[in-house]
Amino acid sequence: MALLELKGVTKVYQQGKIEVPALRGIDLTVEAGEFTTLFGPSGSGKTTLLNLVGCLDKPTGGTILFDGQDLAALSKKELAMIRREHIGFIFQSYNLIPVLTAYENVEFAIRLVNKHSDREIKDKVMGILAAVGLEGLENRRPNELSGGQKQRVAIARALVKEPKLVLADEPSANLDSKTSEEVLAVMAKMNRELGTTFIFSTHDPLVMDYARRLLEIRDGVITLDRRRDEAIVSH
Amino acid sequence: MFLTKLALKNLIRHRNRTLITACIIAAAVFLYLIFDSLIAGMTDMSYDTLIDYETGHLQIVHRDYWAEEEKLPLEDLLSLEELATLSQVDGEVARSPELAFPARLSNGMNELPVVGKGIIPDEFLRIFPLEDKFVAGSMFALGEYKAVMGKRLADLLDLQVGDFITLLVRDKNETFNTIEAEIGGLIHTINANVNQNVVYVPLDIAGHALAVPEKVSKVIIKLEDKNGAPRIAREIEARLPAKIGAYPWNELEAITFAGAKNAGIMVMTTILLVIAAIAIVNTVILAALERMGEIGMMKAMGLQEKELIYLFVTESVGIGILGGLAGVLLGLIGVALLVRIGIDWSAQTGVDMSSFGIPVLGTMYGSWNPLAFLRIFCFSLIVSFFASIPPAYWAAAKDPIEAIEYR
Repeated sequence: MALLELKGVTKVYQQGKIEVPALRGIDLTVEAGEFTTLFGPSGSGKTTLLNLVGCLDKPTGGTILFDGQDLAALSKKELAMIRREHIGFIFQSYNLIPVLTAYENVEFAIRLVNKHSDREIKDKVMGILAAVGLEGLENRRPNELSGGQKQRVAIARALVKEPKLVLADEPSANLDSKTSEEVLAVMAKMNRELGTTFIFSTHDPLVMDYARRLLEIRDGVITLDRRRDEAIVSH
Repeated sequence: MFLTKLALKNLIRHRNRTLITACIIAAAVFLYLIFDSLIAGMTDMSYDTLIDYETGHLQIVHRDYWAEEEKLPLEDLLSLEELATLSQVDGEVARSPELAFPARLSNGMNELPVVGKGIIPDEFLRIFPLEDKFVAGSMFALGEYKAVMGKRLADLLDLQVGDFITLLVRDKNETFNTIEAEIGGLIHTINANVNQNVVYVPLDIAGHALAVPEKVSKVIIKLEDKNGAPRIAREIEARLPAKIGAYPWNELEAITFAGAKNAGIMVMTTILLVIAAIAIVNTVILAALERMGEIGMMKAMGLQEKELIYLFVTESVGIGILGGLAGVLLGLIGVALLVRIGIDWSAQTGVDMSSFGIPVLGTMYGSWNPLAFLRIFCFSLIVSFFASIPPAYWAAAKDPIEAIEYR
């Protein structure tokens, strides 16, 4: 079943009197459980596309169906509820809350969903932190963690509520290649074990090697859509 | 619950900013409490000053005269003979008749409007403690053509003990008359009205000049306990003809600090409102700008605007509680010192406060007002709450993408 369906999606930014088209009629279907990489040069529209499918922005034209729901018909509050329950974000700059420990940063995401008992929350948070290799570091604040460890906390935060979709914008941009490989392996594992759909926006060839679907975007148009049965790097 | 916990952690995270804002609120709360205490203390002192130097605890007056008292009429006066039949009441210490009249005081060159008061010296001094207030001369006796006045009034007309004055008056028949008298004594009290507006003369001399012999405007009574005045007033009225009333001190029309107190408190409240509101608005805006990336992330995670507003407002109220409590604690110490030790303004500034109509000679004491502590604490919370809403709303309404990318 399609998790995402984009039909003729356009996005135009207004810069003073000048209209700057960022997306020009995107048609795209993403099935549940896909591990997709979106690549292309800077300014090609990758982040814009992620923002639209992440319910952070609205398209200028066209329709986006998320799990069958037309996002254009939803209010700000309803979009926030979709993000809260079904979408996880991983940003290049982590955006962890500095006053909270690694455990609390992850706990925050699942508390928002408000569907679990305290015991379940604790089990899920400890479980996901162990899965991303942060066992024993739960009580550290972000300033006490390395860049790779912070990104793992961000991944755990995105995954703990078991969302249908995880959007990762340049997740390896601030990481060395060894750490990048470690966090990608974690995400690939989650994709395999939980069936979570991942869409990455990246320039990093390593991230592309992990993907089973490659989407190239140039000047707001998808110019390449290639699927492969197996990733180059085995999950 | 998690957001409340996060808000409290944010307060500790920005502890310097939290402490500075809380200190501003604490200072405003402290100043308010000190001001309220001083004003309340002055109000108490002003009542005592009026009782001790002008009104006594109780006055017996003709009801029609009472209605026109400000004009000091020579109509509807009381007869001394009639009053002599009124026996002493329980709790009465002394009584003194008084004939008040408008006059113009002249030194032969210049003149000033004053209130003349005809008194029986012995009886007057049993009610008003003026013996130790003489800075020159002494009290006159009945039948003597002498006068006593405030030193300040005498200074205005360049008069000294032994000089002669003229009081220009209109008698009961509207005929101009004069009272020629030698200055027998000069006094200086903490009552500005007595110091600069009143001239005392013997009752028999005044009665004769005003064509109202054996008549008085009122009888002033001093009681053992001022709080018993309303009850004793009712007892006296029951024994007097209906046309004569007995008025306790708390019903007397007199200048008090009640009005000044209300105005002062309003000014202080406004200052507090502005100071605390500016501090809170500034703090929330700084916090929001500093945490814009976090705000964007939280919105991306699905946090709604009202939840973000709750987060910032909770932080502000936390600062309000901290500042309010600190201010109340400082206020407790400050007011305790004011009540026990007081402030000697004259010693501090070299200025006699009574010259401004403030009834203080020597040390000014504060007064406890527990309600003020409760009121100002609640007020600091309310201000913190409401002042934080607009900037919190501004922060919460940020577009999540712009917030995440904010640098």
